Amino acid sequence: MFDFIQAVLDGILFGTIYSLIGIGFTLVFGVMHKINMAYAAASIGAAYIGLVSASAMKAASAWVVFGCSLVAGGVLGFLVYLICFHLIPLRNENATLMSTVGMLLLADELISHATTGAPQNYPATLEDVMFRFGEMSMRGDLVVVFGVSVVCTAALLLLLYRTRLGLATRAVAQQPIAAQLCGMRVAQVNTLTFVITGVLGGIAGALICSAVGSLSILLTGPLTVKGLIVTVIGGLGSVPGAIVAGLLVGGLENVFQHFRGVTERDMYVMLLLFAFLIFRPGGIFAKGQGRD
Amino acid sequence: MSKIALAVAAAFAASLTVSGGALAQEKTVVIAPFGVKTGVLRLFGINSEAAIKAAVEEVNKAGGVKLADGSKAKMVASDYLDDRCNAEEGIAVVRRIVGTDALVAVGPTCSNVAEPLYGILQKKVDDAKDTGLQFPILTDVAIKVGLAKISEWSFRNVPSELTMYSSLYYWLKSTRPELKTVYGGVEEDFAHSRASWHVVMKDRANANGYQVLGESKWLLNDTNFSTQVREIKKANPDILSIAAHPFTTCGLLKEMQRQGVKPKLVVGLTSTSSLETMQACPKQAEGMIIPSSFAPVNKEAKFAAEQTAKQKGSADLHSMASWENVFIIKEAMERAGLSGRKDSASIQADRRKLRDALAATKTTKGLLGVSKRTEDREADKPYVFVHGKGGVWTVLHNPL
Repeated sequence: MFDFIQAVLDGILFGTIYSLIGIGFTLVFGVMHKINMAYAAASIGAAYIGLVSASAMKAASAWVVFGCSLVAGGVLGFLVYLICFHLIPLRNENATLMSTVGMLLLADELISHATTGAPQNYPATLEDVMFRFGEMSMRGDLVVVFGVSVVCTAALLLLLYRTRLGLATRAVAQQPIAAQLCGMRVAQVNTLTFVITGVLGGIAGALICSAVGSLSILLTGPLTVKGLIVTVIGGLGSVPGAIVAGLLVGGLENVFQHFRGVTERDMYVMLLLFAFLIFRPGGIFAKGQGRD
Repeated sequence: MSKIALAVAAAFAASLTVSGGALAQEKTVVIAPFGVKTGVLRLFGINSEAAIKAAVEEVNKAGGVKLADGSKAKMVASDYLDDRCNAEEGIAVVRRIVGTDALVAVGPTCSNVAEPLYGILQKKVDDAKDTGLQFPILTDVAIKVGLAKISEWSFRNVPSELTMYSSLYYWLKSTRPELKTVYGGVEEDFAHSRASWHVVMKDRANANGYQVLGESKWLLNDTNFSTQVREIKKANPDILSIAAHPFTTCGLLKEMQRQGVKPKLVVGLTSTSSLETMQACPKQAEGMIIPSSFAPVNKEAKFAAEQTAKQKGSADLHSMASWENVFIIKEAMERAGLSGRKDSASIQADRRKLRDALAATKTTKGLLGVSKRTEDREADKPYVFVHGKGGVWTVLHNPL
């Protein structure tokens, strides 16, 4: 029983990483009703730029790396918007989907070339810190990730519900044409959304690499898949939903692993996704109005 | 005006004659390297390509390859083709190579490519019913146990993990008698890692009198090792044998550090004794012991490493096998007595002669000493035990 509880706790803590990525996916979907498949890859790209920039400044402490990653994330977010959305006709939903898939592969390959595919050592926030409660323990750095994702969510919610930019963002999300007729600059709001999610991605990328202990392109694929699962389970466009779904997926992943082993684990996560798509397509916090 | 035109035409004709003559004089024998140059295993391809380029340069500096008629041919390595560690792409790459004048391919990197690839080669030479490809492949990296026996056209110059781990556990048994138990950590979805634990490490540990307590499994892309480390902690083994590549090996070692799990000894996978591990987790890999078929321990090995570095690659057990392959091929080509002609019948005849010469090879000169060739076209290579020390791999023991 102890092993099971510990496995669930470990999973929930690691699920904070999925939450961070899920927030980025869901925010873009909430505003533009588009999926940005390149989000996780751009986040890892930002973490890499952060690492290289901090190394160039000869200040490779975790917090300097995070600061650089945050800035790099914003810039990459803007570039992704420019290349994959702004320059592509938004009327064609498949076009932006495919352009972001292309960007995902491009980012992957760029990181692969820059790192020669080798994993890079990444500084930890709280190296070797474990909080112990009797026989149970919690990783200090994952508690930091959890704390940061809570702060990021609070900041995002404040931004969305307490600022003019947030009002504009919500207006564009709900009625883009009406928002434009009211004088709001839709393209500017979209750009800012991508920069904000990019900044968030930079933080997420750096925290993920820090939690994993190394940066590798092996991270981009699984994070993209998990980010999408979290976004669907949390409800497309729901920031609180993404957080809860991230923790849920992380926890259940370890439960499946505990009972069925590592080789069957991902199969059950996918079944969970299908269960949500069929029985609760609006996600965790959706009102029970049905599938449409 | 007409005089000028005449002079230009004459000069042009003369240049054509000279270059045509030069081309006619310079005979070439082509080898075709391939493997991974994209994705997470890109470094393998970069290092192998650099080692092959450097070795080919050395062959040509020494006069090239002697043909049957006594003339010398320049050895040429065609462009390193990328199979992306994907079986279908590996097969497509080799089919493409077969359509060129290459006499032999050097590759692939991944065992999951090598296995199906050898499967499309003719199983037995001269079997008229078998329409498989008749093209020799000398593998440098793909290391999964016992693959070369699939086809008589497939050859490998990779170390025998069975021999190396057997020797390692034997040596540990005699030098560290206080160690009694072994626990495995295995990357379950990667062909080489999986085979290395289930077929090699586990079996060899048992054979050397260790009690194998069990194993923890994870996947190549996994990032969270908390459950696996708790399993290791619970088993409390004396020796932890990790059969995984650098990314997950480092992930596991870092999680072990966090949880304060310290087995008395950590044994790693052959492929992990590379620069990648030291880039990703130099501190955590300190003390990890790995058997390796390369270390810069003598003049030849140091020279090969230096020449490879000049081509922007690093020397490890895999890339130095690529270096050795070039010299094995050169020696086999000279014994085979190739025609060096470029018509398709001559190319196929030369490929067959080269295959036969490779099959007849009993020993080869490697960087750490003489390698024996086995009946099923594998290598029995010399090896050393290396360990992580101060952020680099250094030789701990030379068992030979």
